[in-house]
Amino acid sequence: MRLLLLVTLIFTCANAWGEGLVSRKIDADLSRPDESASYWSGARAETIQLMGQPMIAPRPKTSAVSGLSVQSVHNGKWIAFRLSWKDPSYNEAGKLGEFSDAVAIEFPVKSNETPPPVFMGGKDDPVHVFHWRAQYQRDAEKGKPTMKELYPNMSVDAYPLEFVDSGKIRGISEESREAFSPAKAQGNPQSYAKTGVDELLAEGFGTSSVLPSDDAQGRGRWRTGEWSIVIARKLTRDGASKLEQGKSSFVGFALWDGGSDEVGSRKSVTMSWTPLSLDDGQAPKP
Amino acid sequence: MAKVKNWQLKRDMDFPYEEKRPKRQWAIIFDLNKCIACQTCSLACKTTWTSGKGQEYMFWNNVETKPYGSYPLAWDVRVLEKLGHQDWAKNGEYQGKTIFEGAEVTEKAVHFNPKDEDWMYPNASEDDCAGNVPAGDHIQLPHDKWFFYLPRTCAHCTYPACLAACPRKAIYKREEDGIVLIDQARCKGYGECVRACPYKKSMYNPHTRTSEKCVGCYPAVEQGLQPMCVQNCIGKIRIMGFINPPWKAREDNPVDYLVHKKGIALPYYPQLGTEPNIYYIPPVHADPAYLTQMFGPNAMDAVAKYRALAKDGVTQGLFMLMGSTDRIMHRFSVKEGQARGFDEAGTEVVSVPVTEPLHVRADWDPKLGAVRNNTP
Repeated sequence: MRLLLLVTLIFTCANAWGEGLVSRKIDADLSRPDESASYWSGARAETIQLMGQPMIAPRPKTSAVSGLSVQSVHNGKWIAFRLSWKDPSYNEAGKLGEFSDAVAIEFPVKSNETPPPVFMGGKDDPVHVFHWRAQYQRDAEKGKPTMKELYPNMSVDAYPLEFVDSGKIRGISEESREAFSPAKAQGNPQSYAKTGVDELLAEGFGTSSVLPSDDAQGRGRWRTGEWSIVIARKLTRDGASKLEQGKSSFVGFALWDGGSDEVGSRKSVTMSWTPLSLDDGQAPKP
Repeated sequence: MAKVKNWQLKRDMDFPYEEKRPKRQWAIIFDLNKCIACQTCSLACKTTWTSGKGQEYMFWNNVETKPYGSYPLAWDVRVLEKLGHQDWAKNGEYQGKTIFEGAEVTEKAVHFNPKDEDWMYPNASEDDCAGNVPAGDHIQLPHDKWFFYLPRTCAHCTYPACLAACPRKAIYKREEDGIVLIDQARCKGYGECVRACPYKKSMYNPHTRTSEKCVGCYPAVEQGLQPMCVQNCIGKIRIMGFINPPWKAREDNPVDYLVHKKGIALPYYPQLGTEPNIYYIPPVHADPAYLTQMFGPNAMDAVAKYRALAKDGVTQGLFMLMGSTDRIMHRFSVKEGQARGFDEAGTEVVSVPVTEPLHVRADWDPKLGAVRNNTP
């Protein structure tokens, strides 16, 4: 019954595809995201419908955020997306049981004509994801918070490997210390300061793996109950997605409301791909 | 959902993955009649595993005073109240729902999500007893006031809720010993294991942004040694070994003997449905209704057996072996007043008398010309 409902939903959404999102070509540096740049005023905004991720548990009971406003511009080398949505609370996570506001966009990798399943791709048919978090932006702007910053009133006698005496004990390298932070010792990208946006490849739910940073950027701001985020990426990345000026592809969206304890599979998503076309800067032919 | 066999419930139950029991299963037995909450286990664990950043609040092993003590706050009552009725049939079959069976369609397990402040009082309600002590009260036997200490580690469950809930499949149960681990290279810190574990033994590390948990001291276990919390227990209340399911139980295996043969050690909150592998010898003095809720329908039977131990030389001998060796005992024997433990290869690792020899000293020491007394 749930499957039937889902199929119906997908078709309903597919019918509502319309023209999709058009990325307008402009002449500006897009490698540094700027959500208040003047060029956004000339870019058409599309409203993207979101619903609570319905495929796998754990999942949200309701859609914390039901819609997202999206604009896009490109300059032939870089493409930027401005994503805006209503969110009454700012959440950047950090302490126990706190979760960050976040948004992600995904692109097909193998074929821009026949995209993989929109729900994070399929086996041997990956998607290329750009995942921004308020938490990651904080890392980039102010550094990864220390335990003292997260818990200013916390009392700790001593961390065994940070003990310093008058020089009789040899200093212990940061590397040795990190052996006591298991995920860091394992090189888990989650444990290191982020640059604002994570690039990932995924072949279905639960399979995402972080790619080395490739200059993609994510910045934005929250004010008066609304997030406005810009994610900027190069048009192509070898081994991942490739967008071309004058051609079309698809884009998908996911959104997490930290204030509703959303994280991981607890998210709102687009139920189908949104067509994305990059104009070539020529005036439309009559 | 697959149908899996849960012997602690005497029935099949639903679980997201197929039944796949490890070659052998890590288990600890705790004699709650002997625990004094000295917290030596907690500190042995803390200094071994959680002295780093982001682990300041963590106690993979903790000891709490029951009924009111809890870490995180009220972890037990908060999950039990969400589970609904938890009735047992006369034949010992569980008739309520497990956390997997009772879960809403959007969730993997019935749970509550602990918040920051819930973790900040590891010693809450220490030594608080059940019931008020009015002015002028005096001791009666049996005591009408009671409390007991409950030491807890991860239960390395046969059906772990943490593993079931992890959307990244970053949690795995080891084939060789049943220890449940979080892959620190794959974990993304979603905290689904922290939410889903009904015993609240997965913990989030805000420094590494991943979740961590008791590792069962697997590096020690791989060398035939018991975990640090067991080795360091000064009350000798614990024994770690490998438990078999009842249909494969071996009478000369110390853990099988106490759990299956003798029925004196019981899983805690078996109704949650994870088939936990830490087992408790219930305290004899606590409220029967409370013990039955915590240890299932056989709780008072175990208490009666404990009270009758004076006539049971084999169990006495096994109790003497607890805490007498750092090595894992795969087999034990009690013969002619001597209890012996053997490792996997069958080599004797410890031998202790069932009854310690009694020495009587004269009250006068002629050599020193002094009266002896028993003041230490």
